[in-house]
Amino acid sequence: MSHTNPEPNKAKPLPSRFQVGKSTLYFDNFMNYAIKIGGIGVIAAICGIFIFLTYQIMPLFRGATVEFEQTLDLGNLEISAMGIDPWSQLPLFVSPDGTLNFYDIQDLDKEYNRGFFQMDPGLPDGVEFPFTRYSNHEDSAIFGTADGRFAVVQVEFESTHPDYRSREVVANLTTTPLFRIGLDDGEFEQIDYVDAGRNKLAVAIQRDQEGQRRIFAVTFSQNQPLIGDPVTVRDREFELSDLFEGEARFMRLTGDSDFVIVGTDIGELHLLARERGGFTNRQTIQPFAGRQSETIRSMNFLSGRLSLILTNEVGEMMMYSIFHSEESDERILGRTKEFQPALPTGQGAEFYSHTPRNKAFLVGGGNYAQIRYATTEAIRWGGDLDFTVEHALLGRRYDRIMFVDTENQLQIFTVRDPHPETGWKAYFGKIHYEGRTEPEYMWQSDGDDDFEPKLSMVPLIWGTLKGTVFAMLIAVPIALLAAFYTSQFLKPEIRRLIKPVMEIMESVPTVVLGFLAALWLAPLISARIPSVFLIILSLPIAVIAFGAILANLPIQFRKWVKPGYEFLYFAPFMMLTAYFAWQMGPLFEAIFFRVENPETGEVVGSFAVWWTETTDYPVRLRNAFVVGIFMGFAIIPTIFTIAEDSMTNVPQSFRSGALALGASRWQTAISVILPTAAAGIFSAVMIGFGRAVGETMILLMATGNTPIMTANPFDGMRTLAANIAVELPEAAQGGTLYRSLFLGALLLFAFTFFINTVAEVMRQKLRDRYKAVE
Amino acid sequence: MENNASNKTRKSLAPKGEVWVWFTSLGLVLGLAMVLFLFGLILLRGFNFFWPVPVVQLELKEDSEAVFRGNTSFAGVIASTQERSLQEIAVEEEILLEEEEEVEADGILGQALQTISEYRVFVGSRDRYGQSFRYFRHNDILERSFPEDIIRAERRVEGDAFFFPQRIQFQDGSEVTREDANFEDELDRVVKEGRARRSQINRIDRREIGPINLEIRELTMDLRFLNRIERTEGDLSEAQEAQRERLTERIAQLNEQFELLRDKADELRETNQSIRVFYEYADGTSGQIAIGDLFRFYYPNRLGFFQRIQVAGIQFWEFVSGYPREANMSGGIFPAIFGTFVMTLIMSIAVTPFGVITAIYLREYAVQGPLVRAVRIAINNLAGVPSIVFGVFGLGFFVYIMGGTIDSLFFSQAQELGTPTFGTGGILWAGLTLALLNLPVVIVATEESISAVPRGVREGSLACGASKWQTIQRLVIPASLPGILTGMILAMARGAGEVAPLMLVGVVALAPNLPVDGTFPFVHLERKFMHLGFHIYDVGFQSPDSEAAIPTVFATTLILIALIVVLNLSAILLRNHIRKKHKGSAF
Repeated sequence: MSHTNPEPNKAKPLPSRFQVGKSTLYFDNFMNYAIKIGGIGVIAAICGIFIFLTYQIMPLFRGATVEFEQTLDLGNLEISAMGIDPWSQLPLFVSPDGTLNFYDIQDLDKEYNRGFFQMDPGLPDGVEFPFTRYSNHEDSAIFGTADGRFAVVQVEFESTHPDYRSREVVANLTTTPLFRIGLDDGEFEQIDYVDAGRNKLAVAIQRDQEGQRRIFAVTFSQNQPLIGDPVTVRDREFELSDLFEGEARFMRLTGDSDFVIVGTDIGELHLLARERGGFTNRQTIQPFAGRQSETIRSMNFLSGRLSLILTNEVGEMMMYSIFHSEESDERILGRTKEFQPALPTGQGAEFYSHTPRNKAFLVGGGNYAQIRYATTEAIRWGGDLDFTVEHALLGRRYDRIMFVDTENQLQIFTVRDPHPETGWKAYFGKIHYEGRTEPEYMWQSDGDDDFEPKLSMVPLIWGTLKGTVFAMLIAVPIALLAAFYTSQFLKPEIRRLIKPVMEIMESVPTVVLGFLAALWLAPLISARIPSVFLIILSLPIAVIAFGAILANLPIQFRKWVKPGYEFLYFAPFMMLTAYFAWQMGPLFEAIFFRVENPETGEVVGSFAVWWTETTDYPVRLRNAFVVGIFMGFAIIPTIFTIAEDSMTNVPQSFRSGALALGASRWQTAISVILPTAAAGIFSAVMIGFGRAVGETMILLMATGNTPIMTANPFDGMRTLAANIAVELPEAAQGGTLYRSLFLGALLLFAFTFFINTVAEVMRQKLRDRYKAVE
Repeated sequence: MENNASNKTRKSLAPKGEVWVWFTSLGLVLGLAMVLFLFGLILLRGFNFFWPVPVVQLELKEDSEAVFRGNTSFAGVIASTQERSLQEIAVEEEILLEEEEEVEADGILGQALQTISEYRVFVGSRDRYGQSFRYFRHNDILERSFPEDIIRAERRVEGDAFFFPQRIQFQDGSEVTREDANFEDELDRVVKEGRARRSQINRIDRREIGPINLEIRELTMDLRFLNRIERTEGDLSEAQEAQRERLTERIAQLNEQFELLRDKADELRETNQSIRVFYEYADGTSGQIAIGDLFRFYYPNRLGFFQRIQVAGIQFWEFVSGYPREANMSGGIFPAIFGTFVMTLIMSIAVTPFGVITAIYLREYAVQGPLVRAVRIAINNLAGVPSIVFGVFGLGFFVYIMGGTIDSLFFSQAQELGTPTFGTGGILWAGLTLALLNLPVVIVATEESISAVPRGVREGSLACGASKWQTIQRLVIPASLPGILTGMILAMARGAGEVAPLMLVGVVALAPNLPVDGTFPFVHLERKFMHLGFHIYDVGFQSPDSEAAIPTVFATTLILIALIVVLNLSAILLRNHIRKKHKGSAF
């Protein structure tokens, strides 16, 4: 050809009419990028959900951060105890000369800073106070004289905002007169004082002249004069030394002033109860029995004055709490925690401080300190310090730590620990909560000063699984039987009708199902549970009997029932059976579930009463059984659709082969189709399971939402999903509850995602296998 | 021997396992029965809500437990009849009432079988009876009649009531009594006039006072902000001082306007209160009601079939177009329908482009391999992740992070005063949350239909010199449009029925304003909204008298279900249509 170019490299440019327009190319290029970015962006966003949820719960599993803030010199102030205000900006130091010394550490550089100042509580002049103690819990200082008297100084902190600058804390002091307690010439070792309204109690340990430790209690009463404030009057004095063996070394009073807890030098703990105007020894315990050291080294209350933190000589730490015992029906002291590992100092605690805000405490010795959280037993923070600690204090709002070291320097640290009560153990472990009889899993998020929030995920997971199991019990048999029949025996024309019906069923909003379950079905069957039992029992039996009779009839009768239309003949018969069973329910109840009224001797048939008497479980209106039935509605279509698909898609050749070899249609279905499609059926069940786990509205409406852990089918529960729906709208953003609910959501996400992935992978494999056969 | 042999042959002739085939059909029958039953129940009970039923007057025995304050006559509508066994009643009374009562029956089995009919009667007048339903046992009823003159009145508060109207008292004290010939016409007229006045009041409240209130609220906010600046900084600049003056002036002006309108509305209200209808209950006790509280009435025992249809139609229209009253227990559900609609629309606008782009990317651009396969499985699985999880994400990310950022950028004043604008749940966030929830649905449906476009079509187009995008734009997308539409419709159906995530991101039981209205900027994406599904939850579970609310809930359910069934059905039909088309075109 004449115009063939011998050098292809030097091809002539294309005629312009063949050239692609520049704008087309630009647009094409642009769209290429836009779609790629868009597509990848959306996929990234989807992954972002998981990352976001994870990011939100990360703080729950972090420990506390403690950072050095500043050092302040206290000069040569003599310090015997220290305390702090609720806002952690006005530490106070108790001196043996009977004064309180405050240090304003807020805005140190501003001219309005008050610096270091002293307040005189108005104790008698010239008296020395060899014993002092400050309780950060009650904001009170106790001063004990050398001649057997003591006074209590109550500090009231008040926050003011002068001229719109930052907060200024002002302290007001109220002082009791000096009260006499115990010996005139004894040396005070411990004094504790509790003001529980009308009941006031002071207890002191004194060392007498022979060096013997003795313990005394004084009760107070309140007198109301005609004019003026009520006056506290010393009432009676008791010596408690003879109530137990050994010498009292440690002593604390419970917040209600009902108990005195005494730790002795022989390593025993005594619970002395205040009863009928006197004291009795209710209980004696050896807390460190059988340990390396049985000697109690320290004994302190946790916030709430109900739980004691004890250490022994080698730094082992335990918690004993007062709780109601079901055996003896009275309040006793029992071990609730053992803290692991022991203090690394290898010695007992030399300093201890707790915060009233939560169950955290600061403990340590020498130049080591750690923050522990009592409920979860976790070490929130621990570390060596550059100085040796003389006094230590954990801030009232759990925001600061203050140490006074041996050089009389005030060392201030900031604590950042927004979620101290969380952690693996808090969410998934069995915990002995304060005031409870035994370790348990509990969800009770609305904690306050008296009750710590209980955040165990276990009851919620249990509730979720309980609801799911009941739903599956009802849904799986029905859905699989229906799928099997529809795919294998039903006429294809009818099948084409039935599938859309099921799909529409799948899209029924669950709020509708929940409403029907709770307001329609629950009241309907609450009195007719035996009827439902009877229906469940009688239907399969009746069906099998009916089928057996029909199948064994001679061919001239059988031919009337066209294969593929069995269910149509069946439906009226089944409706009749169900109706009959419903009506016979009360009779069934009267025969099998009889109870006798113990008072009148009358015999009544009642399932509810029978169940409660037999199993000790109640029968409630909103229960797992009702939920199961309606959850069945929600997941039957899901399971049905997928299972039916996988059985219908078994290659036709399989069936043809089996039939040609003389197998009946049942034999073909059960021994050829079923094994082939088993993976698909399994994945259908898994996907149904996943859907049941995440279902919210039905469970929210029909379970009663009580987070209890029983297997009783006639009781309610609370599921993870319903829990989120109930509590998240009220939860403060970023708070512990908020993040805990995010953890619940993440659990749901991960669980369903995992289940669905397994199911999806199995389905893919099945599809590939079918493809290979075809 | 012979007998045995013939047995054998007969057995071997019959196909094996027919019994089990029958057994499996149990599943299908049960499944179908559940579906039909569910839809039938909703249809029936929902329809019942609108259908005017004859009112029965019951005369009870004097010693019946159901007697109310010595009155033995009740008028009402029989809501249901229940056959209860004596045993059930005995247990209930023993346990619930803790009252011993001898039940005379032939022993325990006889007790179980002997039943009594118990009628659940809607007697209305919650203000009188305490609750709307009362129970009457068959044995207690002496006589039943269907009085012609009884009316069923829809009232502003305390639900419906059944009574015999006696006389009308006008403003000037003149009266028309039932003996007068024109009594019924007069009654009709005054109720109609009352209705007209009420809608006038509503117009003033909503259309005229509403915007003024809104402006006052906004200006007050600005004023509060200025005051706060003064408090914290001690001093205001001159411009701020002037602004404050302007604001105060404007607020005063608006307040004046507001009062004028309010007076007008109050006047109308007073007229409506001063015309009163006196009536008698079935037992002869008399009562009265202001015309303003009597919304509508009809004579249920006089209606013919077509009149019933007419009344049902009016009631239906009032229900779907009216605003809720009495903590959502009566009145209409228009805001809920509208909220559902707007939210679904926002969701569709958000989900469609992203879903389609992702599907195109996955099918046409991404290199098919294990990674894309994994992504596809992940997207598929996302459809199975519980919806509440998306709600949690929506709250944490959209509301708090995105909304919080928008607030701090554009609405910092309001945010500082503790009234977040976008930083709280709203219809936009609800729409976006559901868009995310439905993304997998759209992606999967679109991808499916794109992959059904034959390869030859693409190759042909490319061979003719079309660019890749041109091929997608002119051939692939048009061919898969029905599939995309199917996905969209399915997403809308799912979005309209989903409630759990919405509870976290902005749905409320009673929203004061619609998300789209006549005040600038007309579309208020930050507003909270009402939703049909949540309405069901709220009325069924949070209302003071949930038993009386059940019929309303059924009616709402009927409308929601109808909406979803229509959406789904159209998606299914569309999909079947596509499948058929593709089967035909074997390329």
